[in-house]
This record gives sequence, C-alpha cells and structure tokens, in this order.
Amino acid sequence: MNLQIQKETEGNTDKLLINGEVDAYTAPKLKDTLISLTEQKGREVVVDLSGVQYMDSTGLGVFVGALKSSQQHGSSLKLTGMTERVHRLFDITGLTDVMNIEAHTKGEVR
Amino acid sequence: MLGDRDILIDRYKQFLTAYLSGRTEQALYRAQQFSRKMLEQNISPEEVINMHSTVLQTINGGIPEEIRDSFDFLIEVMMGYGMAYREHQILRDKQKALESEIEVAASMQQTLLQGDIPVTDKLDIGVISKAAKQMSGDYFHFVQNRPESINVAVADIIGKGVPAALCMSMIKYAMDSLPEQENHPSMVLENLNRVVEQNVDPAMFITMFYGNYNTDIHRFHYAGAGHEPGFYYDAKNDNFEEFMAKGLVLGVSKTTQYQAFDKDIEEGDMILLLSDGVTECRTSKGFISREEIVTLIRSYMHLNAQEIVENVYSDLEQLQDFELRDDFTLIILRRSV
Amino acid sequence: MAAQTCVDVRNEWDIVSARQLGRDLSKELGFSSVDQARITTAISELARNIYLYAGKGKVCIEPVKDVNRSGLQIIASDTGPGIQDIRKVMQDGFTTSGGLGAGLPGVKRLMDEFSINSSVDIGTEILITKWLR
Repeated sequence: MNLQIQKETEGNTDKLLINGEVDAYTAPKLKDTLISLTEQKGREVVVDLSGVQYMDSTGLGVFVGALKSSQQHGSSLKLTGMTERVHRLFDITGLTDVMNIEAHTKGEVR
Repeated sequence: MLGDRDILIDRYKQFLTAYLSGRTEQALYRAQQFSRKMLEQNISPEEVINMHSTVLQTINGGIPEEIRDSFDFLIEVMMGYGMAYREHQILRDKQKALESEIEVAASMQQTLLQGDIPVTDKLDIGVISKAAKQMSGDYFHFVQNRPESINVAVADIIGKGVPAALCMSMIKYAMDSLPEQENHPSMVLENLNRVVEQNVDPAMFITMFYGNYNTDIHRFHYAGAGHEPGFYYDAKNDNFEEFMAKGLVLGVSKTTQYQAFDKDIEEGDMILLLSDGVTECRTSKGFISREEIVTLIRSYMHLNAQEIVENVYSDLEQLQDFELRDDFTLIILRRSV
Repeated sequence: MAAQTCVDVRNEWDIVSARQLGRDLSKELGFSSVDQARITTAISELARNIYLYAGKGKVCIEPVKDVNRSGLQIIASDTGPGIQDIRKVMQDGFTTSGGLGAGLPGVKRLMDEFSINSSVDIGTEILITKWLR
C-alpha cells in the first residue's frame, strides 16, 4: 500500500497532508518526515489525517514518537481530520487524552 | 575440476548435435535437464555461452569468424548476470542461516511464553495465541498464586517479529520480578509502564490488560493500558457488550496512573480478552467487524471455552485465506459454578 | 616477462583504456575468453570505483609467476577518501542495493585472489590476481 505525504509551510507552521495507509511498511517514511519537523524548537506541526483510511499500531507508534520528540524539543504537534476508524485507535490507546487532537471527525471511509 | 568441465562440454556437444540433427522436443527436454545439472554445479551464464561457442566451433566444420567473435560480445554482456547470479546464491545461503537462527529464537520464545493455564472447577478457561510470523508480539500470562486467586495478563507489543519478541521477553522478566503486586492490576501496570518508558524506543509502546479473578467471591478486579477492548457476555440477558478498561498505553509517559475496576461475575458469564489481531482481521471484503466476531463466538458458545477459542480462530483463519497479518490471541474466562 | 604497465584513471574513457590493457595482457598470457571477460570486468569495476568515489587514481597490471603457475596481477590504487568500514563494503548485498554494480564482493569472486588496504583520508589499494588454469 502507498502513502503520500504533502507538506505546506506557512510561517512557523508546517502542515502535513497524509493520504493512504499508515502501517508497518509506510510508517518509516512518515516517521522520517515527522520527526525531523518536531525536532525544530518552536515549530508548529499540524498533521491532517483525513486521507488516512487505515492505521495500525506501528503507525500509531510514529505519532507517539513524534509526541515525545515535540515535548523534548519544544515544538508542538496537532492532529486533525481523523476518520472514525483512526480516531477509535487513538481513543482506545488513551492517546486522545495526552495529544492535541482536533475533535472534528469524518465518517468512516472504507 | 578440469575433468568435470571436459565431461560437461562433451555432454553439451552430444545434446546439441542430437538437437541439430532432429530438432525434436525430446532433445530440448534433455537441454532442460542439463540446465538443472549445470545449476547444481554452479556453472555461471557466461560459462554456458563459452561452452556453446566452443562446441559450435568443433561441429559441422566450425562457424564463421563473425559469429564466433559475437559470442565474446555476448559473454561480456552476460558477465553482469553471472555476477548477480553468484551474489544471489550467496544471499540465499545467508538467508537460510538467518532463518534457522530465527527458528531457534522462536522456540526459545515459546518456552518463555509457555506457562500453565490454571485448572479450577469454578472457571472454564480457553486460550489460543498464534504468531503471524515466526515470533510473536502478543503476550499472555496466567498466575494462580492462591487457590482462589487467578491473575491474567494480555499484552500486545507494537510491531511484529523479532523486535516485538525481544520487547516481550523484557515484559515477561519485569512481571516475574514483581510477585508482591500480582493481585493489584493498577500497580502492575504502573510499574511496567516505568520499565517500558525507560528501556524502549520512543516510537514503541505496549498495550496491556491485567486482571485478578477471585473464584471465592467471583469478582474480577482489572485495569487496562490502552488495550484492544474485549467482550463481556452477560448470560442472564444473553447479551454481549464491549469490555474495556481505559488507560494510556505503556511507555508514553513516566507518571501515568492507572485506574482499577471491579466486576461481579455471574454464573455462565464470560470475559473475552483479545489482541488486535482478532479485530484487525482483513478479508477480501474489508475488515471483519466486531459484530461478526460476536456472531462467531455465539455459534460456538455451547462448547467449552477451549473449544470456542479454537473454533473462532480456525474460522477467522479461513476467512483470511490462512494468511495471518497480525499476531492473534484470544482468551475466554467463563464462570462455571 | 613484461614489466608493470599502468593506466591513470581520471574519467570514464580511462576505464576503457584500463580494460584494453587487461584484455591485451590476459590474451597474451593465454587466458580463455571467459577468464578474459572476468579479468576485464574486475578491472572495469575497480576503475569505475576510482572514477566515481576517489576522482583519480591508477590501475597497474603485470604478469606474475608462482612456483608452478603464472597469472595476472592488478593493483588499483587511489588517494581518495578511503573506506570507513571495509567489512561492510565486503558484505554481499551492501553496495548493490545502492546501484553500484557488483561491488567488491563480486570482484573478489571473479578473481582467485583479492586483498584490500584502505585508510580514511589517505586512500585505497586493491590487489587482485587471476591464475592461469
């Protein structure tokens, strides 16, 4: 499966638009992009997940890693546009309580 | 070595002459068999071409100079293929060695994982745990530290294969070193969380469900760390509901506290614990829904707990064309009397 | 017996000259066409490595004699950046994944003898030998 990552930069904010599936095969690609951004002090990183239909636990791990990296380096991380299926994953794992996630979710895309 | 080569060339000449005189399918079949023999003897492609050219020069009065020289050109072209072929062979041997190493590690993991499943007439227990690859990232563990006290742990380590298995050994060791907390799910999780947070890659985490079942009073005391919800079967109302304990996954934050919950279990009630390999089953038609899993469980509910988990697994295995994408663990605890 | 002959390697054309030299000498010594191809391919790979990674260097070729056999020896040397981890570049599947052709393990297999010496910031010297069968 494929994963496309688009980056838009506006001032201090980097917005990542992600399309496809985030799983064990595609996670390393996302990790590289995301970690290098969160390592920059003061940077605001927004990840739009509305194009992600499927994410597995390895994918979730990338966001856990990015969260720790942003806390360590003084950047911020926000996730937006989660589909119901993806949101459920963040909910079950308790990550909705420790991450900045924009509440609005879209209907499930299969 | 030289003798072997001469024999090969001689054979080749014999087969090629036979083919040129009759152009029969049988002669071509011989060529196919011959190629297998050459592969066995590690003859590389450029040598085959050289052999062909050598033989052609000795039959029917030889070949024109231009054609003979063109074989030198072809040999040069085939050099790259020859090198790739030899590299491929070496990598294949390496892979075999690696696979046998993993096999040894997998059987070590099996002995680590294996623990006795408690037997009591008050609780009917069924367990199945299957690895998608050779090594599993799913973990389960039972401890009966008093006749009436049974502890159960189910954990899912992010990722699969060797890294997950290594992490699992760590969990196993950490659990074994905390015997005095065994009956306190929230304390077990808080301690493990610190171990994981300190020792594991930042992008790695573990989900866990931990419970203590008291068979005297039939009360289940439990806590969860972001683990895939299981099911609870309420026998009196013949109803399945989601069963989970909310809590952050292990390894994200040092100071996470976990809340424990209690549930009184009635006769015939079932607690079903699982790993996400059960709910992430993917078929050609998409994901299997939780409702479909409940339907499956219902259809085997008249059997004992072990038979239920085995039947559910074999049905799901079949639905996925026998290709397990994720490690699969399913545990059933059913109150008997 | 002829003495050592060298070709300086600075650009891609020099790779062809090095090959030509290896071809002529190996033919003269009586190597079979397959062995000629192996020797020139090995020279090609080494000269290409010099051209791509060191910028410049040289390939020297000379006939050698042992107690009861004779053969061809090639020394490829450069004063380039050197190789940090020789064990790594000698691993199969390491260089090929980067699209560098057969890499050094491939060269080693084409020849009968292979030795390498490399120091970071000083350069690399590779010595290979093929014996007449």
